[in-house]
Amino acid sequence: MSTNRWLATGNYFTSYKDEQRIFITHLDRTFFSIFISLLFIWPLLFKLSNKYMLVIDNILIAIVAIIGLNIVTGFAGLISIGHAAFMGVGAYTVASFARTLGDSHVIITHAWPLLILLSGLTGAVFGAIVGLPAMRLKHLYLAMATLSFQMIFTWTINFLEFFNQGQTIAISNVFWFTGKLGRKDHYFFWYYVLLVVVILSGFMVRNLLRTRYGRCLGAVRDNDRAADAMGIHPGLTKVYAFGLAGFFAGIAGALHAYVYRGVGFESFTLHHSITYLAMAIVGGLGTLHGSFWGPIAIMTLELQMESFAEYAGRILPSDWNLATALKPLSFGLVIVLFLMFEPRGIANWWRIARSYTKLWPFRY
Amino acid sequence: MPAPVWQTQPELTTETMKSLTISDVTLTFGGINALSNVTITIEPGLITSIIGPNGAGKTSLLNCISGFYHPTSGKIMYGNKQLTHSSPHQVTKLGISRAFQNLELFSGLSVVDNLMLARHTNLKYNFFQAMIYVGKASRIEAENRAYVEEIIDFMELEPYRNSIVGNLAYGIQKRVEVARALTLNPQLLLLDEPMAGMNIEEKEDVVRFIMDIKKERNTTVILVEHDLGVVMDISDRINVLDFGEVIGSGTPEEVASNPKVIEAYIGED
Repeated sequence: MSTNRWLATGNYFTSYKDEQRIFITHLDRTFFSIFISLLFIWPLLFKLSNKYMLVIDNILIAIVAIIGLNIVTGFAGLISIGHAAFMGVGAYTVASFARTLGDSHVIITHAWPLLILLSGLTGAVFGAIVGLPAMRLKHLYLAMATLSFQMIFTWTINFLEFFNQGQTIAISNVFWFTGKLGRKDHYFFWYYVLLVVVILSGFMVRNLLRTRYGRCLGAVRDNDRAADAMGIHPGLTKVYAFGLAGFFAGIAGALHAYVYRGVGFESFTLHHSITYLAMAIVGGLGTLHGSFWGPIAIMTLELQMESFAEYAGRILPSDWNLATALKPLSFGLVIVLFLMFEPRGIANWWRIARSYTKLWPFRY
Repeated sequence: MPAPVWQTQPELTTETMKSLTISDVTLTFGGINALSNVTITIEPGLITSIIGPNGAGKTSLLNCISGFYHPTSGKIMYGNKQLTHSSPHQVTKLGISRAFQNLELFSGLSVVDNLMLARHTNLKYNFFQAMIYVGKASRIEAENRAYVEEIIDFMELEPYRNSIVGNLAYGIQKRVEVARALTLNPQLLLLDEPMAGMNIEEKEDVVRFIMDIKKERNTTVILVEHDLGVVMDISDRINVLDFGEVIGSGTPEEVASNPKVIEAYIGED
């Protein structure tokens, strides 16, 4: 290793273990640690209103979901238009406990980490089952198969008495070591839970991507014939990709259920599936940090548009109805612009910015 | 320090190598016989070439061996294992690997990742160890990375290690293709036109690599190639296919004097 591990710009690896490191220099690692600690500290310094805390919680939930979607669509190259349905599977796993045991049963209020993990596993099972057609189908035909799952999901929820026919199923507030969480601390508390989940998921996927379990995804995306010749079963790899995506979606769904203290079908519709796909594209398909950029960008945009529409609604004639049109319009415009000018997403901007700062300030 | 991976694997000697027997293989595509009653024995430790005019069924034969096609009738045996109905990943596990005619690389990944994918079945850690990474997964990855480096060194790919394969020049990509097949540590290597579209210098390089593969790695090579000069020079055995039938086989001298082969290549006088 080079004598200076703080500012090294070149490749000074002396062992293959050196090469495996996530953070090449100490500087990267330090910056990252500071950034993570700031994420933990800032809510204690600035008390944000519940409205904005909910937006941030929403972004974090979406990040968990997009990490999953990026695995199946970005890394394995299989378009999934049913990602919201997989989230729904996770959320309704929690809901079915609430339906059978009552919404403030001890399993829901005390064993919530286990229940979230269980929801993830249910999501993984459903993901793998829906992924089965991937053994035979490719490209758009496979996308249709995932779309059909979205349809089946919405239908099933809407028609089953057990799921309250899609009406909200209440989930009660959880307990922490300090006792039952109050209304005021709710979003604040879940911010920390979500942050921990996001960091764990991020590191888990980062680790998987540098092992055989991540590389095989890129192999079936780029060339599944050659993957077969390498001793990788392409069909099973695709099913595994769907399973893993379903796992993260399930966890995101369960977190959504807890944060909103209720589960209703209208949070898991086709519209949401497409929004998630848009977030993955805007963030950058096939990159891990793209899963973070996408939700942040799209949700911030939505928030800005909401307040802008409010403002515009006041000064424009009321029959223009700009306020309702502004959100979908700006959303559509952003996706079209990204597809045209930056199909590799915000992750590419990040890459460019990093390569500019690599040689600055005068490293060696 | 544990022994590197390539040293812990059994030394491949001529005795342990198995021969590939293709007996009476017929492959039909809706009335067209791509291969009819092909019988070839590939002896271990030699370079066996399969030549023939365009559409003679050379690539079809390789596809049958590597499991991408399944023969309509006939048998393919490797040692005492039957390959007739195996899928590609099962064939790979028996120690047969293949370089494709048209580049079939993982074009979005780096050279190292492409080669690491060829180590896929040797990376013996489970999902949870991979998730935690520190410990077993990291150690096995490093060991196999060292093995990959040995192949990179062997195939002289050092300058391109971390380049994305899709951005490399055609000749280099072809070499990565051979390197990837070699990383599977095969006992039998199938090369499908490794020199197609190359200039004379690149061809000389590839010929040198093939000779080295045979000598240094004790690997049996099956070579499909159009350049007759190269084939005649480096092959130990040659099989000639024409319209899906074997019309001649033997040493280069025998094949060159076979009237049926001369007829197929030069035509009747």
